[in-house]
Amino acid sequence: MTTETDTPDPSGHPVTGLDEVVHQRVRLGILAIAHEARRVEFGYLRTHLDLTAGNLSKHLTVLETAGLIDIEKGYEGKRGRTWITLTPAGNTALAEEIGRLKVLIARVETTTEDQ
Amino acid sequence: MRFANLVLAQTGLLWKPIAMTTDSVSAGDDPHRLLADVRNLVGRVRRDQRLTWVALLTLAVVTVGAIPFDWLFMKVRCDGSGCMFARRGMLYYWPPALLIAYAVIAVSYVRAARARGLGARVLPYAITGAATAVVFTAAYTAAAAYFPSHPPFGGGPVPFWWIVLDRLIAPWGLIGLALLVLARLERNVALLLFTLAYLALVLVVLPTTDGMHLPEWGIPSFMSGTDIQPRLAMTPPQLIVGAVLLAGGIGFSKAHRKQQR
Repeated sequence: MTTETDTPDPSGHPVTGLDEVVHQRVRLGILAIAHEARRVEFGYLRTHLDLTAGNLSKHLTVLETAGLIDIEKGYEGKRGRTWITLTPAGNTALAEEIGRLKVLIARVETTTEDQ
Repeated sequence: MRFANLVLAQTGLLWKPIAMTTDSVSAGDDPHRLLADVRNLVGRVRRDQRLTWVALLTLAVVTVGAIPFDWLFMKVRCDGSGCMFARRGMLYYWPPALLIAYAVIAVSYVRAARARGLGARVLPYAITGAATAVVFTAAYTAAAAYFPSHPPFGGGPVPFWWIVLDRLIAPWGLIGLALLVLARLERNVALLLFTLAYLALVLVVLPTTDGMHLPEWGIPSFMSGTDIQPRLAMTPPQLIVGAVLLAGGIGFSKAHRKQQR
């Protein structure tokens, strides 16, 4: 499961609330694509994230183990296809990660302005 | 040299992460960059899911296909004071044509998205389109039953808002309303602008429900009968709407191909 999915404490630094599973650029990319596409095929992810099949599989396993995605394997004709969909927990985790990133950016910009 | 490339390659979702591990990156990774990469990927998915040109071309074909039905099934009754006409062909043609068109569009979207390895977001558009077919049928049937015995505004001149409302619940206006839903689903600003211009044309400019009266010199002599006049008058607005949808379809098709390169 994810290590931390709660909304970051506004009094603490947003970095303390970062989800170790989601706060990783490839996995964040997988979640973002799956969210926008509703369901996405393994090949599309591999092409657009520019990963090897093995590397992508590792990331998908991490996300599936955390309960953030569902992986469905099937066939279209003779061709095997793997479809990835976001679970409700994955949707929440993505939204929270985006929120935390925006908070981080706002903090950094505020700090820069203060200096 | 290769190590320098490795360092650079770490910072983008769209770049090949040569030294990728399944470990999370440090919390200090640039959030600006992460968010920008997410936006790029999401934008790419949206562009790959779009099939706007198919929707517009299908609707153009349906619009032009309505012209012979309108012509053949229009009931015209003329006397010394003028002509009365009832566009029966609209009721026979448009409800099934709209349902078939939206089914074709939905199936095309789903098949194209699946071929690219994506899901499709077209269902709300298809449902809206089917709902417009129901709205049109109900409104047209109710108007045909009620207005002959209760002419609006006592048979006198009708205000402009009434004309706009009349055009809005006609098939060409409803096509525009459904296109607004598609533009929202696709987050497609170009389609939104096209649809707004299209709606302005069919609601405000083109006399889609009243017909466009052609000058005498523009009518061939073999079409000069009084019962042909209303039929002729209804044709140009439909041709113009069909041409606009066709031009939009071709334009979006070219833009789509350009983006895919």
